[in-house]
Amino acid sequence: MQRQGMTGAGGHVAVSGIGAVSGLGWGIAPLWEGLRAGRAGFGTIRRFDPGQHRTRLAAEAGDPPPELLRTWPGWRRLSIADRFALFAALEAVEGAGLAAPFGEDEEVGVYFGSSTGGMFESELFFSDFLRDPRRASLSALSSQQVNGPGDAVARHLGATGPVATFSSACASGALALGVALDAVRSGEVAVAIAGGSDSLCQLTYAGFNALRSVDEAACRPFRAGRAGMSFGEGAAVLVLEPLERVLARGAEPLAVLAGAGSSCDAHHMTAPDPSGRGAAAAVEAALADAGLPPEVVDFVNVHGTGTPLNDAAEWQALRRVFGPRAEGMPLVASKALIGHLLGCSGAIEAVATVLCLHNGELHPVGTDGAADPDLPVSLVLDEPLPLPGARAAVSTSLAFGGSNAALVFSRWTGQAA
Amino acid sequence: MREPIYITGLGTIGPWGAGCGPLADALCAGACLASEIDRSAGYHLPAGSRLACLMPPGQLGEWLSPIEARRMSPPSKLAVAASRMALRCAGLAGGGEEETAVMIATAFGPSTNTEALLKQILFEGPEAASPSLFMESVANAPAAQIAIALKARGASLTVCQREAGPLIALGTAAAEIAAGRVRRVLAGGVDEMTPLLHALLDRFGALARRGPAGGPEEDQEAARPFDRRRNGFLAGEGATVAVLESGEALVARGGRALARILAWGSAFDPTASPTGWGHGHRGLARGLARTLKRAGLSPADVDLVVSGASGSRDGDRLEAGVLRAVWEGSPLPPVAAPKAVTGEYGGGFLGAAVLAAEGSPLGPTPGFAEPDPELGIIPRDGALPEPPSVVLATSLAAGGAAAWVVLGPGTEGRS
Repeated sequence: MQRQGMTGAGGHVAVSGIGAVSGLGWGIAPLWEGLRAGRAGFGTIRRFDPGQHRTRLAAEAGDPPPELLRTWPGWRRLSIADRFALFAALEAVEGAGLAAPFGEDEEVGVYFGSSTGGMFESELFFSDFLRDPRRASLSALSSQQVNGPGDAVARHLGATGPVATFSSACASGALALGVALDAVRSGEVAVAIAGGSDSLCQLTYAGFNALRSVDEAACRPFRAGRAGMSFGEGAAVLVLEPLERVLARGAEPLAVLAGAGSSCDAHHMTAPDPSGRGAAAAVEAALADAGLPPEVVDFVNVHGTGTPLNDAAEWQALRRVFGPRAEGMPLVASKALIGHLLGCSGAIEAVATVLCLHNGELHPVGTDGAADPDLPVSLVLDEPLPLPGARAAVSTSLAFGGSNAALVFSRWTGQAA
Repeated sequence: MREPIYITGLGTIGPWGAGCGPLADALCAGACLASEIDRSAGYHLPAGSRLACLMPPGQLGEWLSPIEARRMSPPSKLAVAASRMALRCAGLAGGGEEETAVMIATAFGPSTNTEALLKQILFEGPEAASPSLFMESVANAPAAQIAIALKARGASLTVCQREAGPLIALGTAAAEIAAGRVRRVLAGGVDEMTPLLHALLDRFGALARRGPAGGPEEDQEAARPFDRRRNGFLAGEGATVAVLESGEALVARGGRALARILAWGSAFDPTASPTGWGHGHRGLARGLARTLKRAGLSPADVDLVVSGASGSRDGDRLEAGVLRAVWEGSPLPPVAAPKAVTGEYGGGFLGAAVLAAEGSPLGPTPGFAEPDPELGIIPRDGALPEPPSVVLATSLAAGGAAAWVVLGPGTEGRS
């Protein structure tokens, strides 16, 4: 899917604020601290009893800051995915220097990705309902739907512009960011609150285990002997605005979202096209959208699930796009530390990419294990890699069902490129 | 000037049968397509809703081979069938669709598979989970299966925004073409209506129910959009997929357009609860007015409103409030409410909007008899004197989302 260049109002779109919840903690600070240290957030699942599941690990978000429980009316009535989304959105909006709730006349849109929304709460409901329909409480289902987190954010922030949730499995968050980018560029909205949220639930945990796609140990993207993914949970939100709007209020952009592209393998429901053709098409489309050649990309935050087939296909895609440069291209694999956040993975890896660009260093994977001789990649392994002059970075999301999405971020250098 | 975007094909399958002809006939006749839903599992309340607009059996054979169908969830089957119909309607072969994108909305995803999978996990243990059920339980399974079946390698996007989803999918598809990202998109909506889902919607008070015992509506369960007696909607199922093409692509292949997309837009009402409609009609009205303005249109230009009013008490009230606020006291154009025929969900409404823009007559609104003075809208009954030039399709969703698409005739696209 190639784009012909910027259209409409055009101009650069800035990332003016970011927020996150992950297995490394509630907020951007613990996320970056953990990523930079190469510290993985995995542990034995507490959300539900993992005893009967094939695997036990996940990067589970811990308890929220206690002040939230004290000060937020109705907090306990929200689904866990909604709580993640709201925390991340408020952190991002505050970081952008914007005041929420927004006024009725402000053109604010919310674009979210999620795989299962409030499925965890639905499971509790169905466990009761399917045993005895008279006993189940409907309140557990009130924010069950996939659009629950995005709607909750819009409701809480008083957003009156477009609100849309995309559920294209692991590409959802990145696709949402792509649609948000277009909405800002075209002038449809002045501010886009874009990201994703997913919480751990038994449906996806058991489902991926049924596919034998989950590693019993922490995932090892691109490494020899890798045996599958590891789950994570959380939310990530990026505030997107026209660059000139951010500069006009004296704020400092964190990065520029320069382009987005997407494609479909049209190959198989669960297996990637081993040629990497579809994934490469998404990256090439994103670069074309950004008006940037592959040569200016200085690192890639890979989808890197840790499954044998996905990593191999992604490597083929990188070779298609970057040619001989692929072997030396520094790769960041955030899932090694925070797990696979499913519908939110594209969003939280976008946040990680922005943090790497903004801080001028790439976070390591912190994972042990030998290199895979078939995948001669340059993973950032044990220590952060200083890269203060990085010009642009790509973040990839390659999903169940063959949906691929890629985002191109460029470093904010103080002037528009 | 922005390049025109056309709808060049329409495929639809649902309670009306398979194809645009059966849907057009049903809409023209104005007969409700509801039938009894299976309540034998015990999920329903004794006094709960009994009807839904359900697929008749045996509709898929021409469009889906058994070997393809055996691996698909019910919504995936419907979506693939509707997509093939749409491509045939557009005069496209359906092969080698390298740059075609797929944008499909679903409110609930593959509910049959999700329910079966949950039962396995919760009652037999997580190791009993079926991998084949899981891979067809994800919301994007229908869009993915369309892409696989048609080798469509453009973007694959699934929209989950309840009742507003199909119009958001159509608008997102139009935006993708307008931005030059893609020349052709298959866009629409799909949903299935299982007994469990039906029972839960009913327990939330969303569905139409029979009137009080001894009253005149004792045996009547109808949607009744805009009617004083309305008490909920009829749940539906099916799939409707439209082929969207850029004007350039249409001219290049010498195709024919059914309708032109003049504008699209969406907004949100933050006063809505997670499962209900709010009271923020003024905010939504600003969104609709912006949508019209972007196309250089005023409310007076609209010849027909194909309303998403479904018979919901609060939803129809909000819809009426939005329309009245946009028209600012001027008389509304004719308003049609086809969900009284097709039911809510499953894309029938989207099909009705495209057919109306093409000039297909919409008949009476089944169940409507008593105007609600608070709403002041009487759905149109019978054909318009002339085919409409501007059709406004509206969808307000429970939870707060709203979407609009403005359609015109496709004659400018004819080669």
